[in-house]
Amino acid sequence: MFFHIVLERNMQLHPRYFGRNLRDNLVSKLMKDVEGTCSGRHGFVVAVTGIENIGKGLIRDGTGFVTFPVKYQCVVFRPFKGEILEAVVTMVNKMGFFAEAGPVQIFVSNHLIPDDMEFQSGDMPNYTTSDGSVKIQKDSEVRLKIIGTRVDATEIFCIGTIKDDFLGVINDPTTV
Amino acid sequence: MSVVTDSPVHSSGSDDFIDYLNEALDASSPNSSSDEEAENQDEFEDLSRNKRRKLESTEETEGSTSEGIVEQKLVVAESSVVKVDGCTHPGTFGKLCISCGEILDGESGVTFGYIHKGLRLHEEEISRLRNTEMNTFLFSKKLFLVLDLDHTLLNTTILGQLSSEELHLLNETDSLEAKGSLFKLEHMHMMTKLRPFVRTFLKEASAMFEMYIYTMGDRPYALEMAKLLDPQGEYFNAKVISRDDGTQKHQKGLDVVLGRDSAVLILDDTEHAWMKHKNNLILMERYHFFASSCRQFGFNCKSLAETKSDENETDGALAKILEVLKQVHCTFFEKLQGDLVDRDVRQVLSSVRGEILSGCVIIFSRINHLALPTLKRIAEQLGATCLTELDPTVTHVVATDAGTEKARWAVKEKKCLVHPRWIEAANYFWEKQPEENFFIKKTTTQS
Repeated sequence: MFFHIVLERNMQLHPRYFGRNLRDNLVSKLMKDVEGTCSGRHGFVVAVTGIENIGKGLIRDGTGFVTFPVKYQCVVFRPFKGEILEAVVTMVNKMGFFAEAGPVQIFVSNHLIPDDMEFQSGDMPNYTTSDGSVKIQKDSEVRLKIIGTRVDATEIFCIGTIKDDFLGVINDPTTV
Repeated sequence: MSVVTDSPVHSSGSDDFIDYLNEALDASSPNSSSDEEAENQDEFEDLSRNKRRKLESTEETEGSTSEGIVEQKLVVAESSVVKVDGCTHPGTFGKLCISCGEILDGESGVTFGYIHKGLRLHEEEISRLRNTEMNTFLFSKKLFLVLDLDHTLLNTTILGQLSSEELHLLNETDSLEAKGSLFKLEHMHMMTKLRPFVRTFLKEASAMFEMYIYTMGDRPYALEMAKLLDPQGEYFNAKVISRDDGTQKHQKGLDVVLGRDSAVLILDDTEHAWMKHKNNLILMERYHFFASSCRQFGFNCKSLAETKSDENETDGALAKILEVLKQVHCTFFEKLQGDLVDRDVRQVLSSVRGEILSGCVIIFSRINHLALPTLKRIAEQLGATCLTELDPTVTHVVATDAGTEKARWAVKEKKCLVHPRWIEAANYFWEKQPEENFFIKKTTTQS
């Protein structure tokens, strides 16, 4: 799920950036440092949307670096256990399929795929129902439910299932 | 820098909101995640139908919805008679069990990082997958083939190690579109030459085998080479195993291959890397195109690149091995009796190998005593009988010197007097070689 929250971070700035553009330099350094990172509590920081407040800078002893406490608003993405998400399938194999929902990698193992869907290998490996009506292959969109998440230093891993009602391939209305 | 003026959550509120949601969702999911696996289908459907109804009726207030769900679930759970089964944890993805989503800290199982980063499978699941794979492939008449890269299918050198006579190659590189065989990889500072016949080999072998690449190079190198050999991604998609994916250092193993040992053949130039699976191995003659490769193995002769020549395409090592693979495949599927699942490709391989020198009775003379046991073992694997005493049944005397007593006896009795290389050649080419090419001259000390 996406959230728009305020986070705080202490940014260290080298003296070469002091001057007229100090604030801009600070902000661009913040964006470079924080966008694309992950934490267990907040999840994946997708983008910084604004700066709320920059506190007074404190010069560090020994070096000329100055530390600014910066409060910024950002959009974060954090998957939750039990959440229903839409994801795009990236790889299908006999163990299940891998899907991506934004920066999050989700794996749906074949234990959590309905029993009537069989794996078909070939050029475009896919899972198909016995009557061929539903097919999951690379680039399909699926609705899945997260049953477990874990946040690493830079990545979020999730396990998902489609063995529930209303989960599975999102029907393309033009083909139905 | 635009500031969003009406962000819905303020700093003090965001933590609370997240915690609140955390609690709400976690409260409903522990029951559901354990019950989902345990309850049978009907009760499961009731549950979700109830959930659906609840959601439809109370859309605005999330709090009451989740509480409602919890209540409903508790009611259903109490009435159900099933006992909650433990999850067997068949594998993990990023340390999460792939079946129940629990965090598992142990490092059990085998990593399958070459399929997707973070994937590990446990023994039971691997056996289950192997068995289902077996059935699929045996049904479509395919066995498994594990291919080594360096010196087997191609030869790579670092650009800085090209000898002066090889520098002309820098101008002769092919582009991938031209379907050539000499490629320069600027970003890796390497140059690669594909072995002659390799594309035909891959095409024909893919009809009989499910192919894997297993190299002692690192993963970026392995993936680059796979792209050169298989630009369309039809042979080695998600089947490229590098040394980063192996379970043991300096050793290759079939534990990361999803095929049963009795159906896998290995093509490699290094026997030492496959200590546990020698019976599945077909040893390849090394391909030395670049001088650096020759020097690495201690050869002082000119490399193929320096002499501007190359291995014969239709008569070279790959072509010969393709014939052997076809023979083994044919024997496995057509000639063996019994259930497909009980057949063993290793037995087929040793029986095919045992026909090469069958009927030959060999005696050794003045062979380096360190090399003798290996030579004897190879000869016996090839189907020859090895004797230690001279006998009228002897057909070949293998020696390095024509002046020994046994050698002179051979000439006198009109037996074949050959150099040990005759046995090695038979081993590499899977064919009895004409003895005339391996005669030893009387006066020379080395042939």
